[in-house]
Amino acid sequence: METGIRILLLSVVLALSGCASIRNWLDRDEPTEDTSAQADTQADADDANAAPPRVIEPQVARRTVKVPRIDTENIEIGGVFGALSIEDFGTNPVYGVTAAYHVTEDFFFQAEAGRSTAGKTSFETLGGNVTLLTGKERQFTYYNLALGYNFLPGEVFLGRNRAMTSGFYLLGGIGSVDFAGDQKFSVSFGAGFRVLPTDWLAIHVRMQDRIFDSDLLGEDKLTNNLEANIGLTVFF
Amino acid sequence: MRDYRRYAHLLTLLLAFVAAPSLCAAREYLQVFVTAPYLELHTGPGRGFPVTQVVARDESVDILKRRTDWFKVRTARGVEGWASYKDMLSVVLADGTPFTFPMGDRAGYTSHKGEIGVFAGDYSGATLISAYGSYSFNSQLAVELSVGQFLGNASNGTLADIGLTHTFVPEWRLSPFVSLGTGVVHIEPKATLVAPPDRTDQTAYVGGGVKYYLTRRFFARAEYRSHYVFTSRNDNEKVDEWKLGFAFFF
Repeated sequence: METGIRILLLSVVLALSGCASIRNWLDRDEPTEDTSAQADTQADADDANAAPPRVIEPQVARRTVKVPRIDTENIEIGGVFGALSIEDFGTNPVYGVTAAYHVTEDFFFQAEAGRSTAGKTSFETLGGNVTLLTGKERQFTYYNLALGYNFLPGEVFLGRNRAMTSGFYLLGGIGSVDFAGDQKFSVSFGAGFRVLPTDWLAIHVRMQDRIFDSDLLGEDKLTNNLEANIGLTVFF
Repeated sequence: MRDYRRYAHLLTLLLAFVAAPSLCAAREYLQVFVTAPYLELHTGPGRGFPVTQVVARDESVDILKRRTDWFKVRTARGVEGWASYKDMLSVVLADGTPFTFPMGDRAGYTSHKGEIGVFAGDYSGATLISAYGSYSFNSQLAVELSVGQFLGNASNGTLADIGLTHTFVPEWRLSPFVSLGTGVVHIEPKATLVAPPDRTDQTAYVGGGVKYYLTRRFFARAEYRSHYVFTSRNDNEKVDEWKLGFAFFF
């Protein structure tokens, strides 16, 4: 009998403790009474420590700091003037416009457009009143989009007291040539030298070869049209 | 005579307009403070130019201008020189916050305002020269305007397109994109015997391509576009455009 009671009590104790632990597993996420009680006491303490209400409201306006914009000068725009040797048509003055965007200290993109008027071929000069092209067809108009590489940056010195930033650069590009009543795809290679008397002004001396396919004189051939020019550009 | 006078007035106005910004010399410059042991000032905006001045820690400089990766600064003593972007990463503003500026690095490649680029390519067998500019709404979607000229044996012409470009994963170095848009094409056929008239037609295109980040600000871009030319004849034409080029972002 006694053993039976012991077994009963033991099993009741075991069952209760088991239930208690299972209840803990299930209610793990819920705050227990103890922690909520702690939170209450903390809240009371905070109320006691809170600052007393302000008597004087400070009338200080927050200063807003205006950050001035930094002037970026990566764009270069200007004009060029020089001589263009149109293959078979002599060397003639050429004028044009140029614009560049300096992407890094090494590379820049350049767009240029120019116009020249072709002279006479030796055949026309010797042949008397033979004319190959009309007046409008003699206009040589081109545009070109190029990538430039600042190959040899440096400084040039003018006398004892003046140093100017300079640079030798290489150009390679593609474009189109409108000449003799036809438009042709052209490839250009060149090099230039730039001197900056001030930070925003540049003087250029450039040499470029504009190569395109021409069938004007009967047979298809690649023509090399060399251009040498002087340019003045402004950075802004 | 009166015409000349009018032109003279216009010229004066134009000159005033052009000269006004440079005459307003009372420009405010951004002042920054050196936190590194010293800030090196080069004589020109390039890595090879000699360092002739240094600015000590806690001294201030005014930023006069920026050219590519170089900042022209003036010290409190009035000495001017060029500081590299790497050195300028360690300067702070007057309130102690770091001086930040767009650097054109991979973060800029992922998210930027605009792009400009130049292409060479093929437009239905003709050689194509093309340029584009784009404006980004966010890092993935951009509106894009491209113009081009094609020069072939059978015909020459020009084209202009406007459309949307969607970049799938802008943070990838090699980043694919798709594009969709509309445009116009002007074709001048080259016929020796019977010259067909020039024509201008509306087009629509769908395409895709990849961008590849090369170095600071620079990326290469290869693209294919399939154009549908809505001709006035019975059949519409389908024209393939392939192009490869360089571009920069800002």
